Amino acid sequence: MSDEFAQFQEAFFEEAAEHLAIVEEGLLALEQHPQDLELLAKIFRSAHSIKGASGMFGFNAVTQFTHKMETLLDLLRTGEKAVSPPIADLLLKSTDCLKTLIEAVKSGVAVDDEVVQRLTTELATASGAQPPAVPQKQSVAAPTQSDSQERSYLIKWTPPEWLFQRGLDPLQVLKELNGLGDLSSVTLDMTRVPDLAEIDPEKCYLSWELQLLTGKDQKTIESAFEFVREDSKLVIEAQPVASSECQVASQNPQHEIRNQQPETVEGGLKPLGAILVESGVVSPAVLEQALSQQKRVGEILVEQKAVTPHQLEQALNTQRQQEAASHTKKTDTTSIRVDTAKIDKLINLVGELVITQSMLSDLGSRFEIKQLPVLLERVAQLERNTREIQERVMGIRMLPIGTAFSRFPRLVRDLSTKAGKKIQLVLSGEETELDKTVIESIGDPLTHLVRNSADHGLEPPEERLDNNKSEVGTIRLNAFHEGGNICITVEDDGRGLNRDKIVAKAVKQGLIGENEKLSDDQIWPLIFRPGFSTAEKVTDVSGRGVGMDVVKRNIEALGGTVSIKTVTGKGTTFTLKLPLTLAIIEGMTVRVGKETYIVPLLSILESIQPKAGTIKTVVGKGELINVRGTYLPMIRMYEVFVLEPEYTNPMKSILLILETEGERVAVMVDEILGQQQVVIKSMEQNFRKVEGIAGATILGDGTVGFILDVRGLLEIARHNTPVAA
Amino acid sequence: MSKTALIVDDSPTMRQMVAFTLTNAGFTVVEAEHGKDAVNKVTAAGKMDIVVTDLNMPEMDGITLIKELRKLSAFKYTPILMLTTESAIEKKQAGKEAGATGWLVKPFNPETLLKTIAKVLPA
Repeated sequence: MSDEFAQFQEAFFEEAAEHLAIVEEGLLALEQHPQDLELLAKIFRSAHSIKGASGMFGFNAVTQFTHKMETLLDLLRTGEKAVSPPIADLLLKSTDCLKTLIEAVKSGVAVDDEVVQRLTTELATASGAQPPAVPQKQSVAAPTQSDSQERSYLIKWTPPEWLFQRGLDPLQVLKELNGLGDLSSVTLDMTRVPDLAEIDPEKCYLSWELQLLTGKDQKTIESAFEFVREDSKLVIEAQPVASSECQVASQNPQHEIRNQQPETVEGGLKPLGAILVESGVVSPAVLEQALSQQKRVGEILVEQKAVTPHQLEQALNTQRQQEAASHTKKTDTTSIRVDTAKIDKLINLVGELVITQSMLSDLGSRFEIKQLPVLLERVAQLERNTREIQERVMGIRMLPIGTAFSRFPRLVRDLSTKAGKKIQLVLSGEETELDKTVIESIGDPLTHLVRNSADHGLEPPEERLDNNKSEVGTIRLNAFHEGGNICITVEDDGRGLNRDKIVAKAVKQGLIGENEKLSDDQIWPLIFRPGFSTAEKVTDVSGRGVGMDVVKRNIEALGGTVSIKTVTGKGTTFTLKLPLTLAIIEGMTVRVGKETYIVPLLSILESIQPKAGTIKTVVGKGELINVRGTYLPMIRMYEVFVLEPEYTNPMKSILLILETEGERVAVMVDEILGQQQVVIKSMEQNFRKVEGIAGATILGDGTVGFILDVRGLLEIARHNTPVAA
Repeated sequence: MSKTALIVDDSPTMRQMVAFTLTNAGFTVVEAEHGKDAVNKVTAAGKMDIVVTDLNMPEMDGITLIKELRKLSAFKYTPILMLTTESAIEKKQAGKEAGATGWLVKPFNPETLLKTIAKVLPA
């Protein structure tokens, strides 16, 4: 691989991912329309592009594998072979394998050679070829002998008549020959040139006889004629060498040091189970079962009373945090491809900003009070510039959500075959743009919701027919903008949530009282509680009791919310509401004493002015406030952050009711100042982590305001410990 | 004045690599995503000193592009290099008939690319 090209590897990986998505999507669509030649051509082109570009970087495994796929695709494209379900399946599997191969070169891990080999053979068989021969070495420019003895060659060349029409120039060839050695004699043969009247100026009637003295071999000389050789009359004769002694030296010993690498030996040892399965002692199913009975280390330790469940929980938490940290590290290095038009526009805007700035400094240097209107006008202009630049810069990080949706057709296809259901997936709003980080982070929660709909939501075909529904169940994914947020809905037309089952389970788990009267809106969110699953049987797809709580946690980590709408027998809709970007939040500015804090708008339920007698103090639980019959923990902000407040009497101040992860808390502040967008600056990066503070921002007057971490505040409410400032 | 090159390839990675090599060699580069794009761009840009084109592209493939270019008086004698993969070497014939000056087999390195260009580029 050329080092100069190495810098484009990142671009290749990005492009390859796009092509892989096209191939996969195309193959899925092909199952519906096996005759679509245009689609086949598109799939072929993508595979072809991956092959071509991977070769440039020397990713031979990728190139060779793609070549095999391409061969089969070519047969399909030219109609020599028909698209059949087994072929589509094979190609889909190969696409997965190719994905792994590319992932492998990217991260430098070894791949399962066996799968690659098997698929390679299958692809070759499907293409009607003999089993694959030993992979050929990439021929990169034949090594040229440079130090052999000089010889004289007689070259007779008659180029084709249409030479000029291909943009070729005989002079070029002569020049190149001259570069190889000494072109001692050039004889032009003009006998074929017709009379002037008959001459076609676009034709070449000339031929040459050349004498070349060179140290290069015949092959190199021929390469000068590379583009015309097959169509020319060309004779290259080596002249006998004057001295005879050098004949011996012609056999040039080639000290070719080959980089002999052992056939990829995997770094680690194979797990015992794998060896047993391979040697045929146990079947994979038996192994699977044995493994499922295996307890986790933590469970064993708890059983042996070596650790307490609490200690275990803490250790697991640490593990999770480390995992999360390593994850963020990984995403740090990703790049983003931006439409040049977006950048051009931005540069243009920066230019305008510079002009505005110079106009302002010009005005500032000789400012008189009567110029105030001009100043205000310029400032307004600055504001316009800044706002527009802000929007455009955010726009750079915006990608259409389609990239996150693209995995679902395949997923749904696999799920429907696995579950024996007929499922149709309808995507809409793919062009809706949102922040790249958000797109990357919603993939998993969305996958979970779609799996859930396919597995639990949609009924088997018979049941659907019994209920007068179409045999084919539908899952709809839709994305759209709403205010400053993006909404993503996952909708199915299945059986809907079962209220009775959820209530029964919740009562069993002690989440609600047996005779508690709850509205539907209070019942449905229960499924987001950890460990809550009403699925009767645990399936391969979902229903292990983990999941919905993780979905909710992930969405909330992004500053979003999840809501459910369901009608028994008609279906369920999950709505995810997410901020467009993570860098800016919509916040409510509040004042405590002289300090200003920002509360994320999404977490505010309401603000109230408490009435006398609604606040009670409970031993061990701190202060509680009665809000329409429910007691919520109350936090005095000035106590938490050790401030001098304006009011210490709750009746005079304002209480914000905040909610996060289903828990509520009342926070006491002096005054609500207003609502504004704030740019989050990390506390960890600039200072250190402070409990109860999610970040900082710079306010309009230049002072620093802290953004409240509602979850952290809840923790504080639980432990009642003020933060040392 | 620096020489101008038109690079036609639907793969942005390939385009970037060829453009990078040629820019470093002192060319002014115009990039196009496929044949149609290229035809539109040369209509705007006029003459080019060399064209480097991929063959397999959407909208308009390389062979058609070469034929279209040869129809234009400004491109009648312009050297046109086509990028092929080894498997598509049979396309060489089709390319020659369409009027391609030369070809380059992928994978190649910057030196080969520049050498091949030197081969067909009139001094």
